[in-house]
Amino acid sequence: MLAELKELWRFRELLVSMVERELKIRYKNSLFGFLWSLIVPLVTVVVMTLVFKFFLRNATDNFSAYVLAAYLPYMFFQLALLDSAQSVLLALPLVRKIYFPREILPLSLIVSNFIHFVLALVVFFAYLLFVWIRHPQVWPFRLEMLWLPVLLAVNLCLVTGLGLLFSALNTFYEDVKYFLSVTLYVNFFLCPVMYFSEDVRYSGLIPAQYRELVYTLYHLNPIAMLCTAYRKVLVAPGPILQGKERIAPMALDWGLFAVCAGVSLFVLWFGYATFNRLKWRFVERP
Amino acid sequence: MNDTPISLRDLRKEFVLSHQGAASIKAALLWWKRRSFERLEVLRGVSFDVRRGECVAVLGRNGAGKSTLLSLLARVYKPTSGTIALRGRVAPLLELGAGFHPDLTGLENVFFNGVVLGLTRREVAERVDAIVDFAEVRRHIDAPVRTYSSGMLARLGFSIAVHVDAEILLVDEVLAVGDYAFERKCYAKIDEFRTGGGTILFVSHEMSDVRRVADRCLWLSEGRIVLEGTPDEVIPRYEAGYGPDPDGGTATSL
Ligand SMILES: Nc1ncnc2c1ncn2[C@@H]1O[C@H](COP(=O)(O)OP(=O)(O)OP(=O)(O)O)[C@@H](O)[C@H]1O
Ligand SMILES: [Mg+2]
Repeated sequence: MLAELKELWRFRELLVSMVERELKIRYKNSLFGFLWSLIVPLVTVVVMTLVFKFFLRNATDNFSAYVLAAYLPYMFFQLALLDSAQSVLLALPLVRKIYFPREILPLSLIVSNFIHFVLALVVFFAYLLFVWIRHPQVWPFRLEMLWLPVLLAVNLCLVTGLGLLFSALNTFYEDVKYFLSVTLYVNFFLCPVMYFSEDVRYSGLIPAQYRELVYTLYHLNPIAMLCTAYRKVLVAPGPILQGKERIAPMALDWGLFAVCAGVSLFVLWFGYATFNRLKWRFVERP
Repeated sequence: MNDTPISLRDLRKEFVLSHQGAASIKAALLWWKRRSFERLEVLRGVSFDVRRGECVAVLGRNGAGKSTLLSLLARVYKPTSGTIALRGRVAPLLELGAGFHPDLTGLENVFFNGVVLGLTRREVAERVDAIVDFAEVRRHIDAPVRTYSSGMLARLGFSIAVHVDAEILLVDEVLAVGDYAFERKCYAKIDEFRTGGGTILFVSHEMSDVRRVADRCLWLSEGRIVLEGTPDEVIPRYEAGYGPDPDGGTATSL
């Protein structure tokens, strides 16, 4: 694996060029170009705020900030995985003619989606600032936000590992792509995006003695754990409304987060090892 | 050792011949039904050296394994067994403009392709004028390459490949696409490349081209080199054995 990493380092210029090309192609024939990367999350903010305020009447303070803090990472996760799963297959004509480390193909899509994610986070912070100007009660920027780079790193490990794995498998079995989109759809509801992790912990439908267990199992899903972590780190904690009840926000469970980080590192190693085992067979695919 | 930039020893390559079409999970899960595999030995022990500054042509019938051989040298395939030793930067011309993206402009594609071939972006920037002038596409360089004619694409692809300062050029039947003037320019460039000490391995079905540029010919048949020598020695016998039916034994009945 060390030799492969060295080879990848030798081709770092190509990775940069691929990312550049990816960013260019995406908005090549559009008038607003790169602005779309900012417009999409902005529109999401507005729509979510309106829907939650007026239709769902969730009165938890700052609810749209909570939603966004988990929604943006989830979108990054989903887009990066779906894009990278297709990457090798779509580039087969190039792969058949020229040598370069094949992992650059999924990596470039992960990196370009990550850039879009970071831009969306910038919009998110601008939104926090905007809310603060309108309601200057709580200063939204907190020391805990310094954990953000750690979360991003864990998130990148997880996405990269899965992206490498699925791009290699999808080259041989296109069923992987369909499996992936269904799984990601289901998983969206198994992650605290449209609701709170506290809703899981204090769910009235689960017998009290099992709640702790369900909560732990729920967070063994690394994406669910990451969504919770992003929320706890990015949004100032406030009481959460469940029906008429007010629940005190739970602190981030760093033990569970450490498990998630471990799983992510393992996934990264496993994905890369699998990719390397399969990569010479891409061109000979029947 | 430094004057044999290409050296192959007992190179073998097998493909798995599929009788099923595209793979799917279904095929993998129904593993007991899958035994319709057949191995196809394309190369069965090829060994040769190419000296520095030499230009070697590979001859052989359709499906003889010439493109496979060049792809192995370009590291697109991994050999089933045997060794390949290459010294120096390789510019593969297996297909001109293989990495062009239709929506990007000519200039953006030049940068991308140059980097794929192993240059840094700064090195491409230094050469971009030479590349564009050689390809004679200056007027169109800021237009997306989907608006190019196929000859223009080929020119640009060739121009990039010969400007990456490679020591080894692998050419697979790609010089026939340009017009007459450009073909002459290509051959002039190839001569220049050789006087500079560059090594060429190329495949062509055009015997006049082979006579013109090759120092040595390798005749590939049934996965082995059946005859090796100067063009004047090999081409007459190759042409004599070039019977009308591809699976006929004439080619190997030496
Ligand atoms: N990926 C692959 N899987 C299975 N068989 C392959 C694959 N690639 C090539 N082959 C087989 O290998 C043989 C040699 O192919 P190759 O392209 O090297 O021939 P060639 O000498 O270049 O022929 P031509 O003169 O037509 O270009 C052919 O029989 C082809 O079907
Ligand atoms: Mg061929």
